[in-house]
Amino acid sequence: MSRSRSVPGAAAIFAAALCFSPGANAAADAPQKAQVCVACHGAGGNPTDPAMPSLAGQPAQFIATQLYFFREGNRKNPQMSPLASNLSNAEMNELAGYFSKQTPAAATGRTSPENLSEGRRIAERYHCVQCHGPKLLGLQHIPRLAGQQLAYLKTQLIAFKERTRADLDGTMTSAAQPLSEKDIEVLADYLSGLDPRRD
Amino acid sequence: MLPASFRHLVSLSSALVCALIASAAEAQAPAPPPSWQQGRSGEQEKSPLHPFAINVTGKAAKELPVDKLKVPAGFKVEVWAEGLPGARSMALGSKGTVFVGTRQLKDVYAIVDRSGKREVKILLKDLDSPNGVVFSRGTLYVAERHRITRYDGIESRLDNPPEAKVVVDGLDPQKQPGHFWKFLALGPDGKLYYNVGAPGNIVMPSYFQASISRVDPKTGIIENYVQGVRNSVGFDWHPQTKQLWFGNHGRDWLGDESPNDTLHVATRKGQHFGYPYCHQGDTLDPEFGKNRSCSEFTPPALKLGAHIAPIGMRFYTGKMFPAEYQNNIFIAMRGSWNRTIKHGYNVTRVSFDADGKPKMEPFLTGFLLDEKADPPMWGRPNDVIVMRDGSLLVSDDQNGLIYRVSYAK
Repeated sequence: MSRSRSVPGAAAIFAAALCFSPGANAAADAPQKAQVCVACHGAGGNPTDPAMPSLAGQPAQFIATQLYFFREGNRKNPQMSPLASNLSNAEMNELAGYFSKQTPAAATGRTSPENLSEGRRIAERYHCVQCHGPKLLGLQHIPRLAGQQLAYLKTQLIAFKERTRADLDGTMTSAAQPLSEKDIEVLADYLSGLDPRRD
Repeated sequence: MLPASFRHLVSLSSALVCALIASAAEAQAPAPPPSWQQGRSGEQEKSPLHPFAINVTGKAAKELPVDKLKVPAGFKVEVWAEGLPGARSMALGSKGTVFVGTRQLKDVYAIVDRSGKREVKILLKDLDSPNGVVFSRGTLYVAERHRITRYDGIESRLDNPPEAKVVVDGLDPQKQPGHFWKFLALGPDGKLYYNVGAPGNIVMPSYFQASISRVDPKTGIIENYVQGVRNSVGFDWHPQTKQLWFGNHGRDWLGDESPNDTLHVATRKGQHFGYPYCHQGDTLDPEFGKNRSCSEFTPPALKLGAHIAPIGMRFYTGKMFPAEYQNNIFIAMRGSWNRTIKHGYNVTRVSFDADGKPKMEPFLTGFLLDEKADPPMWGRPNDVIVMRDGSLLVSDDQNGLIYRVSYAK
């Protein structure tokens, strides 16, 4: 299938202007298509902006699925939607492949000591570890949560609970329903402090 | 970094969101496990087994080990079309168009030959799991989760398809999770047959669930045809007996070898094939089978292997393959996931002995690379159709590819 799509000129400039920071220059070695991504998501997909999700070392299938969701309108975001609207499936796979091969930096957060055991308890009680894995590192279409950005984790969990965040099969929407606001706070704090590296 | 004003807006709105959530009832319902885990035993709580998701963006054939595919001597397999993410059920038009439905996506594709060049296009968009496709007398029928529709004169309107006309609606009134995507096939009686699966792994279905049902496209009247079918997403009629043969997915979490997924033949309307009480014709369910006997139910014609997930199946009526393939069944096996040692991921041939007893053997293999790996496979066969020249097309929804199997003496 050939989806002919033009270069996302205006959207790219918009996003770059919105996200530009001195740190973003460090991504000069990324492939051309990834330049616009690293402007916000950081060099190699390791963001400096606390609201931006970490992409480094995320499973390729997960990244491609999310880009697809943004293009098709399942997920909506003022920055991501216009960028993804211009991507072909092959480009999505290429970007997903690139970021999946990057090494995540150390955890983006530092869990408050009082949330360590309670966070783990919530992750087990609400079955997070069942799909995301015992170390919350993700696989295939399921994202790594370990070391992910605190603010991003919170907004996504809230959105799943509110049924406004698309997921592939409804599993996350169901899983988020019983979480209280306090659970989300503790869980996100716990997850953001976990080691994101596989070995 | 976001501009300060924008960040402020973000934090303000999330604060508002949190406040809204906090004002909702704080009462904590017990956390339900993901629906695919329903029916697990206590010992299975830490099981690493899980279903696999498709690549929604598809994969190019050149990125895949398609050279690993194997067919019997004399046969040849090749990639026939690519760029159809989520490709599942297929139907052949009278002018040669191949229609392809999807389940996790919202599209129906059309593959057309335009001056010798094969072209894949998205024909229909924004549908709800348009898994089932049937072509008959110029009309394309599409089964979504909740309805069956028709698109008349479709092959002369591929660039400008007509509006959908509803054959029957309201098939998914509760919009609950479960096996509610539909396979669709046209019976020799002119009725459209479709499955309504079970609403979970092992749960009591309602009167219209765990069935194969049919609708008369002229009147929209629906009937329950057979029951006790956990989920059948492939069926066809024997070319001579005109009886309905169908695959069925057995329940999960009873172990690597139990129960078998099954192949059945329905000899009359109203038969019950066992779910949720009896599996594979001889194994009572540990919970639902307590006060029942398997002798109450019609047993399968053939056990296919546990968790092997038979999807599309067709009788072979083409003229290309050797004579002994005539009226054999080809079944696309899309599993297994609910086993520690995986098997399947092939197209299986079912042939019949002189007494009409079916037996099975793998026909197209090579998708399964490592039976202990996660994932164990690189592709998943989903449906088969026989082309006019007698070759066999096989869809692969994991990657969005279609393969062609042909035979030369």
